[in-house]
Amino acid sequence: MRELPQKEANLFKQILKCYENKQYKKGFKGAEQILKKFPEHGETLALKGLFLNHLDKKEEAYEFVKKGLRHDLRSHVCWHVFGLLYRSDKNYEEALKCYSQALKIDKENLQILRDYSLLQVQTRNYEGFAETRHILLELRPQNRQFWIGLAIAYHMMGKPDLGIKVLTTYEETLKDVPAKPDYEHSEMLLYHNLMLEETGDFQAALDHLDTIEKHVCDRIALREKRARYLLALGRQEDAEKAYRGLVAHNPDNFAYFDGLRKSIGLGHDNLSAEEEAKLLELFKDLQKEYPRSNAAKRLPLRYATGDAFVKVADEYMRNNLRKGVPSLFVNMKTLYTNKEKAQAVEKLALGYLTALDKTKGFDNSGSTVEPPTALLWTLYFVAQHYDFKRESNEALTHINRAIEHTPTLVELYMTKGRILKHAGDYVQAMNVLNEARELDLQDRFINSKCSKYMLRADKMAEAEKTVVMFARADIADPLNDLVDMQAMWFILEAGESHLRQNHLGRALKRFHQVEKLFADFTEDQFDFHMYCLRKMTLRAYISLLKLEDQLRSHQYFVRAAQNAVQCYITLFDKPEGADSEEMEGMTEAEKKKFRSKQRKAELKAQKETEEKKAQAVQEITKKGGKVDEDPEGLKYTKTEDPLGEALKFLKPLQELAADRIETHLMGFELYIRKNKLLLALKSLLKSIKIDANNATLHEQLVRFALAVQKAGTSLKPAVKSVIDKHWDTLFQGKGKDLKAFTTGFLENSKTLGSVPHLISGAIAVSLIEPGTEKSKAEAEAIIFLIADDKYIGTRSLENVLVAQKTLKSLKSSRVQEFRTKAASWFPQATIFQS
Amino acid sequence: MNIREATLDDMIPMQNCNLHNLPENYQMKYYFYHSLTWPQLSYVAEDEKGRIIGYVLAKLEEDPTAEPHGHITSLSVMRTYRRLGVAEKLMTQSQNAMRDVFNCKFVSLHVRKSNRAALQLYRDTLQFTVQDIEKKYYADGEDAYACRKTLQ
Repeated sequence: MRELPQKEANLFKQILKCYENKQYKKGFKGAEQILKKFPEHGETLALKGLFLNHLDKKEEAYEFVKKGLRHDLRSHVCWHVFGLLYRSDKNYEEALKCYSQALKIDKENLQILRDYSLLQVQTRNYEGFAETRHILLELRPQNRQFWIGLAIAYHMMGKPDLGIKVLTTYEETLKDVPAKPDYEHSEMLLYHNLMLEETGDFQAALDHLDTIEKHVCDRIALREKRARYLLALGRQEDAEKAYRGLVAHNPDNFAYFDGLRKSIGLGHDNLSAEEEAKLLELFKDLQKEYPRSNAAKRLPLRYATGDAFVKVADEYMRNNLRKGVPSLFVNMKTLYTNKEKAQAVEKLALGYLTALDKTKGFDNSGSTVEPPTALLWTLYFVAQHYDFKRESNEALTHINRAIEHTPTLVELYMTKGRILKHAGDYVQAMNVLNEARELDLQDRFINSKCSKYMLRADKMAEAEKTVVMFARADIADPLNDLVDMQAMWFILEAGESHLRQNHLGRALKRFHQVEKLFADFTEDQFDFHMYCLRKMTLRAYISLLKLEDQLRSHQYFVRAAQNAVQCYITLFDKPEGADSEEMEGMTEAEKKKFRSKQRKAELKAQKETEEKKAQAVQEITKKGGKVDEDPEGLKYTKTEDPLGEALKFLKPLQELAADRIETHLMGFELYIRKNKLLLALKSLLKSIKIDANNATLHEQLVRFALAVQKAGTSLKPAVKSVIDKHWDTLFQGKGKDLKAFTTGFLENSKTLGSVPHLISGAIAVSLIEPGTEKSKAEAEAIIFLIADDKYIGTRSLENVLVAQKTLKSLKSSRVQEFRTKAASWFPQATIFQS
Repeated sequence: MNIREATLDDMIPMQNCNLHNLPENYQMKYYFYHSLTWPQLSYVAEDEKGRIIGYVLAKLEEDPTAEPHGHITSLSVMRTYRRLGVAEKLMTQSQNAMRDVFNCKFVSLHVRKSNRAALQLYRDTLQFTVQDIEKKYYADGEDAYACRKTLQ
């Protein structure tokens, strides 16, 4: 601390304490008091800034901290404070610089070193982190946290062997190991063992377990580890015993059964008939031993084949139908990837239905009469089965029979709604879900589902009204509270609904909210760097670090990012004022009329929303909530650089979702628009590697070739040579003949019966010879091939919709003809009804 | 149905499950806090596809005035997965861990006074007893039943 007289020096110490104890107001007053006499005392000025920051005066905070620093550039306190200020704004780069300045002045300051190391781990600079933790340990070798911190640093650098050394040395310094198991000590030992496991030396890990056993609190972890190591070491019999013990502890844990199966040598796929029989016998015994275990009953369905499958499935299904387990179908559905099993299940279910109608039993033997609800649950099952096969009429017939049987069961309406949704009648689906919701107003689950269906039907106002019904009365802005509570499902569904309605600003606002939540999750880990070292929950801490590194591979983020990219591409392709889809094919006079009509409608809608908004604002401010300044998301639609914004969403996907072809297909769409041919090429090559037969890829390849053609001689030689080098990989040796390339593609995909391939081929044809009647007719003809029975497997609602859109974009005169066909395939789908 | 100890990776789907089912919701950091403080106490139920369809989020109550005991922060199972005893199985595992890892003598929880279905589950199926009524326990002013169960 810089020279102050005794009285002020004491006061300065007090205000430092105030900061530690989060007494910001008191600290601020103290700083003011010192500054009255010594207005140029740098460290006090800086601290005053820090207090201001915590009192929500950000600008002044920076002003005072900087002023303090100017008055005392050689003070580590000033630099530390500056670092803390940046840190509180999550500006980690700048904060790191400040800390390193502070450390130049005061190399051995524990507090600064510790804060510095937190930032290093937060920014995943493990090398630097290890270095700092090393210094800390040297300064205070008696401190447990510093030992552990260094071990973690080595572990995260991928050097568990060094981490083990650190822990071993520390453990040797411990004079009195707690006599009774102590949780923190136990967690440290288990962490030590985890690192041993990661070195792959299972024998060493197993030996270590024996030495720590009596100190460990988490007995389950101990037993799981032992079983795993024994299995890895090939000690089958011991492993079997260990896994049997674990099954006894929790007979519903799949991993335990899996371990048991492996330990008796039946862990592999393609079991012989004899092995299969042995495995089924094992499960039979386990079922007797653990009659309440679901897993022991369900797992055999995975392994049994042929007649044995029919037998176990029969017993399983009867029991569940008798009991009325609503999730039976969802549970069985995963077996449908095996066609033989799917057929067997269908045969069983339909057999039950016939028998129940005739004799009230699951079979016609007449031996047992089932409870009346058995028929209900069987109808429910059969309806879901037909829905899965997209046989909407059969599905509806059965679910309606079930509803007639028991008109008060919420689950039945949920299934009916799902059938209608799959059939393309979103409004009717929503109405049915609303009936279900009204049957049980106390249940938030059905409320959530109903709200989701409202969003799927693009009824935003109804959805918003419904979804907030479970908000607490004291919340000012319940809709926004859902965002605060991180209700990702709602944010995503709302955003997707806006996108369907082409409300790009509102949609982007939602997708950016998801992005923000993920940024918050990243931020959330910060406090735990210190916390976990104190609590010693190190195994969980390591999982946290790993989770955070992979965070944006989560499907919620991927969905938000893909949609956001879509929005930005649309913004780029069709800036405001461009013709909308409905205006295609209109004359100038018609367009003018259409625009003016649209403007009038917009003005009217605007007036209405503004009135509603004023009302809402009143309501919200009355309760003390914050008012949304930009509900339309203009901030996003007005961007100068939509493609650049899109790239920000794509980047994490390229890093964390690189195994998904969508990532690279999207990458292509962005780079080709930016005219970055090499990056576009890179995306194409990645897509080819993942799935060379992907439908959309073909269309993109053609577009790429055309872009290269168009660039012609303006292409830099270096770029050209790279493209040339990969040309054969891209076009399978077809050279520059795109026509032949596309013909070959369509020929090859004939056997696939794939609608997306037809669409991609049609687009390619129309691009190769743009604007000619001949190519248009050819493209149309390709799309109309969909009507062929060969394509029934992929003639889904979604695909047919894309096909229709493609026809529209070709300015085809056969759209109406197509729509009539589509309506015959999807009689319930409102979108094809004219 | 697979019942297993919850990991950090389960926290996002657990939150999703909670938001669908219950009026009491928490931000992610609170889930992280549970998993990073008492990693042994929370459990999840997965369906065949590995989707989280139920969970119990639990903690240790370390009030210095009382003996250490377990506390159920939140428990829920998706409506469509009822009648399989999932809630009971989740609770059994969590309670065993409270007893074995942390030496808890009992476990406590709160139920909204209006939530009859939950009270029935805790009292009749899971053998909790109502200890007390805590006035205005919830943020919206509703009272809570404070329930308890001895662990042996």
